[in-house]
Amino acid sequence: MTHRRWFTPWLLVAPAAVWLFVFNIWPSINTVVLAFTNAKPLGGGRFTGLANFTRVLNDDQLADALLNSIVFMVVCLPLLTMLPLLIAVLVEKKLPGIMFFRTAFYTPVVASAVVVALIWGWMLNDRGLVNGFAQWLGVIAAPIPFLTDRWLLLFSAISLTVWKGLGYYMIIYLSALGNVRRELHEAAAVDGAGPVRRFWSVTVPGVRNTMLLVSVLVSVSALRVFSELYVLSNGTGGPGGRDMSVVMLIQMYSRGFTGHLGYASALSIVLLVVTIGPMLLLLRLNRKAA
Amino acid sequence: MRRYWAGLAVVATMVAGGCGLGAEEPEAAAPSANASGEVKGKVSLQTWALKPKFTDYMQGVIDAFEKKHPGVEVEWLDQPGDGYSEKVLSQAAGGTLPDVTNLPPDFALPLVKQGLLLDVSQTDQKLADEYVAGGIDAYRFAGFQGVYGYPWYLNTDVNYWNSELMTKYGLDPKKPPTTFDELVAQARILKEKSGGKVYLMSRRPELGDLFKEGVKLMADDGKSFTFNTPEAAALLDKYRDAFKEGLLPRDVLTDTYAGNAKLFNEGTVAWTTAGANHITSLATDNPTLAPKVVPSTAMGTPPLYVQGLSVSKKTQNAPAAIALARWVTSPENQAAFAHLVSIFPSTKASANDPFFSKSDGTNASEAKVIAFASLAQAKMLQPVEVTDAMSKFIRQQFALAISGEITSKEALDAAVAKCDELLQN
Repeated sequence: MTHRRWFTPWLLVAPAAVWLFVFNIWPSINTVVLAFTNAKPLGGGRFTGLANFTRVLNDDQLADALLNSIVFMVVCLPLLTMLPLLIAVLVEKKLPGIMFFRTAFYTPVVASAVVVALIWGWMLNDRGLVNGFAQWLGVIAAPIPFLTDRWLLLFSAISLTVWKGLGYYMIIYLSALGNVRRELHEAAAVDGAGPVRRFWSVTVPGVRNTMLLVSVLVSVSALRVFSELYVLSNGTGGPGGRDMSVVMLIQMYSRGFTGHLGYASALSIVLLVVTIGPMLLLLRLNRKAA
Repeated sequence: MRRYWAGLAVVATMVAGGCGLGAEEPEAAAPSANASGEVKGKVSLQTWALKPKFTDYMQGVIDAFEKKHPGVEVEWLDQPGDGYSEKVLSQAAGGTLPDVTNLPPDFALPLVKQGLLLDVSQTDQKLADEYVAGGIDAYRFAGFQGVYGYPWYLNTDVNYWNSELMTKYGLDPKKPPTTFDELVAQARILKEKSGGKVYLMSRRPELGDLFKEGVKLMADDGKSFTFNTPEAAALLDKYRDAFKEGLLPRDVLTDTYAGNAKLFNEGTVAWTTAGANHITSLATDNPTLAPKVVPSTAMGTPPLYVQGLSVSKKTQNAPAAIALARWVTSPENQAAFAHLVSIFPSTKASANDPFFSKSDGTNASEAKVIAFASLAQAKMLQPVEVTDAMSKFIRQQFALAISGEITSKEALDAAVAKCDELLQN
C-alpha cells in the first residue's frame, strides 16, 4: 500500500532546503544587502548607496590585494593543473610499493593548512632551517628574506600552496586516468608513439574535462587564498601589508566590535566578480579546444 | 526571466529597507537603571579565561558573596581566552549580556555607544574615593558622561634584560639604557661585538611609542586622529635609521606585538618589554634564562593595562549586580588575587600593602616592585577608539616607513587618513 501526498517530496527535501537557505542563500543575499549600508556588528545599517563601492575604487590596499591574488592564480593555475597530472601518471602504474608514494603525495592534503604554514614559517624565517643550512654550506652570506620581502613572501606562499595541493588534484586525476581506454595507448604504441607523445595525444585529451574541473577549482581557491599568507606573515599581511589577499582584507575590516561589515561585504562582492571572470574564460577556452 | 526580475526586486527592496540589520546608533547612553533596593535574587558574572587556573579563587569570592547576601545566587560564566570579543559581541547583539561582565575599556566602548552598559558613577557615589583615578578614567569615554565599569586589576610593562648576553657582548646589565637614544647606542655595541648574531632591539614602534614622545594622538572630542606630527615622524626616522644599520632583525617588519618577547625567551634578543609576571612564566618556558634576567623601569611613560567589571544596563537585578561587581573588585579580594598572579589592585586602600612594594630579593619579585611603583605614572598609551583594523593599518604603515619604502611623513599621513575614515564610517 502506498501513501502519496503532494507534500511528501517537499518534506523529504525540507531539511536540506532549510540548511541551504539559512547557511548559503540567506548569507549571500544579506551580503549584497549589507554592501549598500554602513552596517557594524552593533548598530549602523543605514543605507549608504554606492558609498562602499566608491571607497573600494580608492582603496590602495585592495589594488595590492587583487594583484597578489591574480599573481597567485596565474602561477598556481598551470602548476597545479599539470604537476598533479604528471604525478598521477607516475603513481598510476601498479608497481610494488606504489601505495607508499601515493600516500606520501597525499599526506600534505590531510595536514591542517595552518599547521603546515607554521612549519614552513619556521623553515623559511631568517633563523630557520633553510637559511641556516644555506649559510652553513656557505652558499649565502646573509639570510634570504623569504618572509620579509614582498615578492619572496608571496612566492613562498605559492610554493606552499602548490606543495600542499598536489596530492588532492593527483587523486582527482587518478580517477580520471582510469577512464582513459588502455587500447588507445596500445594502438598509439603500435604506431610508434613514445611515452611523451602518448601523454600529449592520448592522456591529455582523455582527461581534458578533468583538467578543466581542476583549473576551475585551482583558480577559485587561489583567488580566495588566506591561511597560507596569513600564517606566513604572522597575520600582518607581509611588510607594510603589501602581501594581503582579498580575503585577508575582508577579514581585517569585518573583525571585532567595530567591524565594518558594509565595506567588507562590498569587498566580498568585488571578489565574487573577480572570481567569475577566470571561470568564464576557462570554460570558453575549453569549448574552443573541444 | 520573470523569476529573475522578481529576484532582483526582492534584493532591491531589502537593500532600500536595510533588511536584517541592526538599529541606528543612539546619540548617547540613557540615564542609568535604578540601583537602589535589596541585594537578592539571581545574578550572572562573566569572566575571561580564569578557569581552570583560578577556579578556586573565583569560586571562593563568589561563595563569600553568597554567604554575605543569603538571598543571592551567582551564576558564574567563564569564557575561553580566544574569541572572547566575538562571544561578548554575540551576547550584546542577542541581548544576552550577563549582569556583570569582565570588559577591558576598548571592549566596553562599543557597548557604551549602544547604550548597553550602566553608568556606575550615578549609582555609586563612593567610586572616586575607593578606586584609583587611572582605573576610573579608563572607563570614561569621550562624548559620554559617566563611568562604565569598576576597574578590577591593573598591570604595566617592565623592561627585561638578558644579563648574560649583555655582559658577553660588552654591555653592563646594571646600567641598561633609559632613553631611546641610549638604547640605539647600546644596540650598536651589541651588534658589533656579537657579529650581528644577537640584537638588543626587536620592537617595532606602536602608537603608544608616539604618545611617549609627547605626540597628541587624538583630538579631545575623540572625532579625529592627530598623530601625523613632525615629532612622530622624527621617531619613525630614528627607527628607520636603526633598521637600516641592522640594529633590528628584519622580522620586525612582519612581527606581532608579542614578537620581541618570543625572541627574548629564545635568547636571540637581549631586551623585551612585558608584564610584571614575565619572569615567572619564563621560568617554565626557558628555566635556564629566567635567573639571568634583570628587570628595570619601562622607558618613558609606562603603559597602563586595565581590566574591569561592567554592569549591563538591561540587568533585572541592578542592586545585586552592582554589589557583586564591587565585591569582586574590593581591596581584600583584589589583594588575594594579586598573591596568586602578578596583577595590581585598582583600589586606593591597596597602595600601602607591603606585598607590592617590598622585594624578596628574587628578580621576579624585583619586577613586581618596579611594576607597582611604575603604576603611579602609568597611562593608557593608546586611545580606546583605535580598532583592530586601525591598529593593523598603522602597523603596516610604520613597517613601510621603517623599511624605507615610504617616508615617515607619508606613512603617518596615510595612517591618520585611514583611521579618520574608519572612525567616521
